[in-house]
Amino acid sequence: MELYTVLQKDTYIDSLASLFTMSVLMDCEGIESAYAGMATASGRQTLEELGLADETVRGAGENDFVVAVRAASREAFEAAMAKAQKGGPAPAAQKPAFGTVQDAVRANPRANICSIAVPGEYACEVTKQALELGLHCIVFSSNVPLWQEREMKELAREKGLLCMGPDCGVANINGAAFVLSSINNRGPFGICGASGCGIQHVAAFLHEAGSGVSQTIGTGGNDLKEPVGGISMLMGIDALENDPDTQYLVLISRKPADSVLQALAGRIRLCKKPVVACFMGADRAVVEASGALWAGDLDGCAQQALSLIGKRIDFDSEEALDALARSAIEGMAPQQKYVRGIYCGGTYCDEVMQTMQEAIGGIHSNCPLLPGLRLADSRASVGNTVIDSGEEEFTRGRPHPTLEPSMRLPLIEKEAQDPQTAVILLDFILTPPEHIDPAGVTLRVLTKAMEDARARGGKLAVVCSVLGTDADLQNVTLQRQKLRDAGVYVCRSNRQAGQLAARIIQLKKERDEA
Amino acid sequence: MMNTDKIQALFGSQLVAVNIGPRLFGEALEKQHVEVVQVDWRPVAGGDKQMQELLAALGI
Repeated sequence: MELYTVLQKDTYIDSLASLFTMSVLMDCEGIESAYAGMATASGRQTLEELGLADETVRGAGENDFVVAVRAASREAFEAAMAKAQKGGPAPAAQKPAFGTVQDAVRANPRANICSIAVPGEYACEVTKQALELGLHCIVFSSNVPLWQEREMKELAREKGLLCMGPDCGVANINGAAFVLSSINNRGPFGICGASGCGIQHVAAFLHEAGSGVSQTIGTGGNDLKEPVGGISMLMGIDALENDPDTQYLVLISRKPADSVLQALAGRIRLCKKPVVACFMGADRAVVEASGALWAGDLDGCAQQALSLIGKRIDFDSEEALDALARSAIEGMAPQQKYVRGIYCGGTYCDEVMQTMQEAIGGIHSNCPLLPGLRLADSRASVGNTVIDSGEEEFTRGRPHPTLEPSMRLPLIEKEAQDPQTAVILLDFILTPPEHIDPAGVTLRVLTKAMEDARARGGKLAVVCSVLGTDADLQNVTLQRQKLRDAGVYVCRSNRQAGQLAARIIQLKKERDEA
Repeated sequence: MMNTDKIQALFGSQLVAVNIGPRLFGEALEKQHVEVVQVDWRPVAGGDKQMQELLAALGI
């Protein structure tokens, strides 16, 4: 293997675009390792650590973009570069940009909101600069220490500005979907949540039912932890209560800290508008005593919200799922026993394991519900397994699977080749930035996997759900149809996908033991 | 309860969004017809921690 490097002087390519480039390079034949990024001090250090630094890299400045590749041959390197450049950004076509938020606001005094996605270690400083300039903030950056999160949110509160995040991927303000949010119809529901996936799930059902959201305010996943104290959610409740377009409030989070739950319950009690609260795993009595409508899970939350406007979601009945499961096991080989889930969404990964474990026992995972179920090797499944492919061990050097669905294809292929796999279980999450056709990309692998299983004398069931709306650029209806046409079981929700997958495993076991 | 006037003002205004970081997120907003101002963010002093601390100490 030889090291090849390319330097583009005075060229700025952002971190996400660099990750896309790196991802393409690493998937090319004859490439052992690759790095693409700005030659900042930390970038150059990473290149040294990866053994990808040469004189070109060491001589590069912080305004230069470098690509370093260890390849089997010059031909392999050139072929990979050609492929990367084909889909890569064209710096000349980019619109002008500012170097600092201060300059940006000086030139655009009407700026009123700021979307921030910088490395976690810089998020606090950048957010505080934006808040000082009077901008409401949506902070996608993660890995921000909780004391810094509190500092940012206290400053926002002092200034009367929203600080959504850090670690906030979903916010829908005035009808605009930020970061990873779905595009939703507007309507009477104001949602405030610490789970982006949860907000998006409930908002999608409201949209599908012909209703919609006034605003959705993401707080970031750590807001309801003790050190942060629910600052953003409490502000979100104040804001939505005072918003004339919001008639109902929907609050969503994984289990809040006890003290934060008490504070929230106290605030809900004073709220003049009806509130649906889905604090998964929290004490139901405390929530109901606040006057909120209780929801135990995300489907239940959407159902409760819709009940306020006299509508309901028709989820599949147990009988209907049972009938689907019976048809799914027809033709399966005796050794096919297990479900293998490959997930993009962390909340969905948790939810599906929770759903399935009630029927088929503990689920192994790289993010298990119980420590004893942790996989020794995240790439080696054991029995029934669901992995969160959005975890750092899979995303290192690559964009998140929601943005780049092809990164989970090798994981799906591997599970499908295992003769013990009976069910492949997936989630699809549509987002405005990318990818324009996650179902299509994944189907290439799924169709072959189903054919291969048949050739082996068995049958592979593929079960999934697709989160999104028909206003999304990908159109959820078309994405679902594409999957159905290929023989995939597309369920009403992630919970229902878990129910169906578990039922297939149960029935298959019963048949094998009969 | 806090004063939410500035938040209500945001809810009643046309959005002008400053996007700090990956352009992909700004471009997604533009596809939804939101006015976007791009900041190509880079760490101060090229991510050199020692230099950043020195600059911060000097108030730069």
